Amino acid sequence: MRDLESENELLEDISARFDTDGWVQRERRVWVKVSKENLISMCKYLKETGFEHLSAISVTDWLKDGEFELTYHLWSYERKTLLTIKTRIDRENPIAPSVSPIWSRNAQVHEREMHEMFGVEFEGNDDLAPLFLEDWQGPPPFRKDFDWREYARKEYYNKDNEREAVYYE
Amino acid sequence: MKKESPKKRKMKRIIKAIWIFNWFNSCGFAELVPVVGSRWDMERFGMIVTGTPRHADVLFIAGYQTPKSIKRAQRIYEQMPEPKVVIALGSCTMTGGMYWDSYNTIKRLDDYLPVTMYIPGCPPRPEAVFEACAKIFKHVEEMS
Repeated sequence: MRDLESENELLEDISARFDTDGWVQRERRVWVKVSKENLISMCKYLKETGFEHLSAISVTDWLKDGEFELTYHLWSYERKTLLTIKTRIDRENPIAPSVSPIWSRNAQVHEREMHEMFGVEFEGNDDLAPLFLEDWQGPPPFRKDFDWREYARKEYYNKDNEREAVYYE
Repeated sequence: MKKESPKKRKMKRIIKAIWIFNWFNSCGFAELVPVVGSRWDMERFGMIVTGTPRHADVLFIAGYQTPKSIKRAQRIYEQMPEPKVVIALGSCTMTGGMYWDSYNTIKRLDDYLPVTMYIPGCPPRPEAVFEACAKIFKHVEEMS
């Protein structure tokens, strides 16, 4: 196994510039936690230093903590390193700054999906229209407190129907 | 010999080979791939997959439909020329299958489209697909 020189160097560079909490997971894999306020300035810096590929944005619903965790996966073709940025936002008031000015259309569509599935508002994203769900009236379906089974029962089945009563057991 | 009705004569003329338009979601196409392949080879019965619903006699719908895809399926159905047949494959189209409690799938296809035949199974056997198509010919044969 090779030494983690390049990874440690990257982590030190980031922590020197921003208030972060990060660690080197293994070779070519670095994790960084950052506050919502520092997210945009940090993303701007990373884009300039080679992390030009935003692979994905995902959201984790920490119901007990009352927070959403946004995860950004960045890839650098120069460093050949996958950098994962994590930031937490309030669950009751889920507003996050948009990274679409930085990674453009790629970030835009990821944020649009996360807005639809978790109800996270991305400030600065110009189009957060529904992507997959058509005519959807319910709450954002990927939230942990959304009871999809109850929703499906209400929406599609009738308890008094003999053949559908089994779905209520 | 009994005289054939004009409808039957017309049907016999039209239904010589079954042309199919596929509308598949999720594992739907995996269900039909063996029928296309060399072992069961549907083309020996004149069954071919068409590129447009306007050439198709039969619409195969397999896998669960979502509220979004069902609208497209309905438009495809409307584009098909008469006489048309809708064959629904797999348990998903009947009851929702393993997605019975999903918030975003259609549970019963015949609430949305006039389904002629359901082929049960998860996935259906290729023989069952052929039997369903044979029933179309049989229906024409038995018409008065």
